Amino acid sequence: MQWLNLLNANIRKEYIELKRYLPNTIALLLTFYIIFLAAFFGIMFVGDPASFEVNVQYSIISVAFWSLTMMTMNFIGFAIVTEAMRGTLEQLYMSPLGVWKIMLTRIIAQFILQMVFMVILLFAAMLTSGQWLNLNPMTTLPIILITMVSMTGVSFMIAGLAIIVKQIQAFLQIFQFVLMALVFIPISVAPFLAFAPFVKGVDMVRTIMIENITLTQIPWADYSFLIANSIVYLTLGLVVFRSCEKVAMKKGLLGQY
Amino acid sequence: MEAGEDEGFVEKIIEVHGIRKSFKKRKTKEIITAVNDVSFDVHRGEVLGLLGPNGAGKTSTIKMICGLLQADEGSIHINGLDIQKRRLKALKHISAVLEGNRNLYWRLTVRENLEYFAGNRGLSRKEVAAQIEKLLSQFHLKDKENELVNGLSRGMQQKLAIAVALLANTEVILLDEPTLGLDVEISYELREILKTIVKEEKRTIIISSHDMPVVQELCDRTIIINKGTVVVDERVENLLKLFETRAYSIKLGDALSEAQQLKLQRKFPLSTYKVGTHQTTVEVNLEHSEDIYELFDIFKEEGTQVESIDRITIDFEQVFMEIVKGEKNYAMA
Repeated sequence: MQWLNLLNANIRKEYIELKRYLPNTIALLLTFYIIFLAAFFGIMFVGDPASFEVNVQYSIISVAFWSLTMMTMNFIGFAIVTEAMRGTLEQLYMSPLGVWKIMLTRIIAQFILQMVFMVILLFAAMLTSGQWLNLNPMTTLPIILITMVSMTGVSFMIAGLAIIVKQIQAFLQIFQFVLMALVFIPISVAPFLAFAPFVKGVDMVRTIMIENITLTQIPWADYSFLIANSIVYLTLGLVVFRSCEKVAMKKGLLGQY
Repeated sequence: MEAGEDEGFVEKIIEVHGIRKSFKKRKTKEIITAVNDVSFDVHRGEVLGLLGPNGAGKTSTIKMICGLLQADEGSIHINGLDIQKRRLKALKHISAVLEGNRNLYWRLTVRENLEYFAGNRGLSRKEVAAQIEKLLSQFHLKDKENELVNGLSRGMQQKLAIAVALLANTEVILLDEPTLGLDVEISYELREILKTIVKEEKRTIIISSHDMPVVQELCDRTIIINKGTVVVDERVENLLKLFETRAYSIKLGDALSEAQQLKLQRKFPLSTYKVGTHQTTVEVNLEHSEDIYELFDIFKEEGTQVESIDRITIDFEQVFMEIVKGEKNYAMA
């Protein structure tokens, strides 16, 4: 019940703040749409006409996933920095539930809200391009949810770093391009990227959406790999976060900015 | 027997033993000792004032009690739970206002802040609804409940920060500078609210403050920290009594001779000697009651006439200044 109340409080807070910063949110959504348009017109004018449809579909999914990963993963780093600046970070540390739980519920809240934006972006992109993807939630959602676990792990690593370093905005700006590369580069071109967080999941969702296949048509080995990848990154993320917390408490960094 | 035990505060809820904390300066790598071997206990229902000049180690001590800062040495137990080993369990017993109005979300309303912080402790909005209503009316925030925090005055923000801490319904509340930066009127209002809470709710409260009337009016006991160590751990009334009974203003009929002034300075180095147009005044703090005889011996030597003796009424601010400036004298006393 405590978990539920915590989740409820954080979803509510994120939603309220999103509403109050609505112009920012719309501007961000427009940015991603413009990036998609650039990719779309690039493919239209200089791409191979034979693979036009597939390329457009590929870029639609990639831009949408880039927005989701970036907004969810960078969010927590920015959140920690903002909390430290506001002076609320120490107050969060007064919660007997633990900050990792608060941050986890915030990531979930942000993920839910960003999913809504991702769907809006997907439809806007599909309408513009006239290319329609398989958006069946019964097939895509389970994989997205498992993929989200590894994203959460990386988010915790960023959060840990933010607690100690605080001024990580420059790093986060570079990181968004790293995320872009991870989302856009196909695993078939760089198979080792499957070991990176969320890349395998994005690849699987892309295959489902473009090739219109069902969950049962994906090999079990792929599911096993995806689940193992997510568990490893989540565990690693939590270990890094807890270690950074200990360092911050030892050095007195929680209240500093 | 410690201060506090003689006043019916039997059970210890906070036990601080030999805590030390040092920090390394980033640029010079110099080690700064912020807290050095600090020990004290706080009893259930007691209101403790934590005083000290800037940089004395008060905030570091409070942060160590909250588990936000790890002590290099020593231990802190909250309700028997080691804060360093069982931090989350111990936090069920503590809430705090650490940076006053900065502890709030400025883009949320008054009510949203209260509900959000309750949610972060695992409490539902339904569970805290009645308590929120009570706090809104107690802190005179009812008509502001739907206003964004960034639109409130500093005093109102401060009141809300304290209300958030109280909402957690914990046995221990730590208030770091609750009246800092507030005007006289709001400071008085806040003090009155806190007085009611102390009286009605019997919670254990630690107040770190530079606002002496707050400490004098609210606290049962005070700990003065200077340069990272505890200088005084005493009940507020005892401290006032101690300084009050030994502080005298003596009006003399004649001026003192040079030899008398020399003796006065040697025997009572903290005394002041003022020669006015019509009268001469000596103000003196007597460490021991029998010192009054030695003082009178100085006057008697040359037949100086004593016109009046008045006990100087002392407020808590003066007590604090006396202790911090001349802590050795207090330790000897």
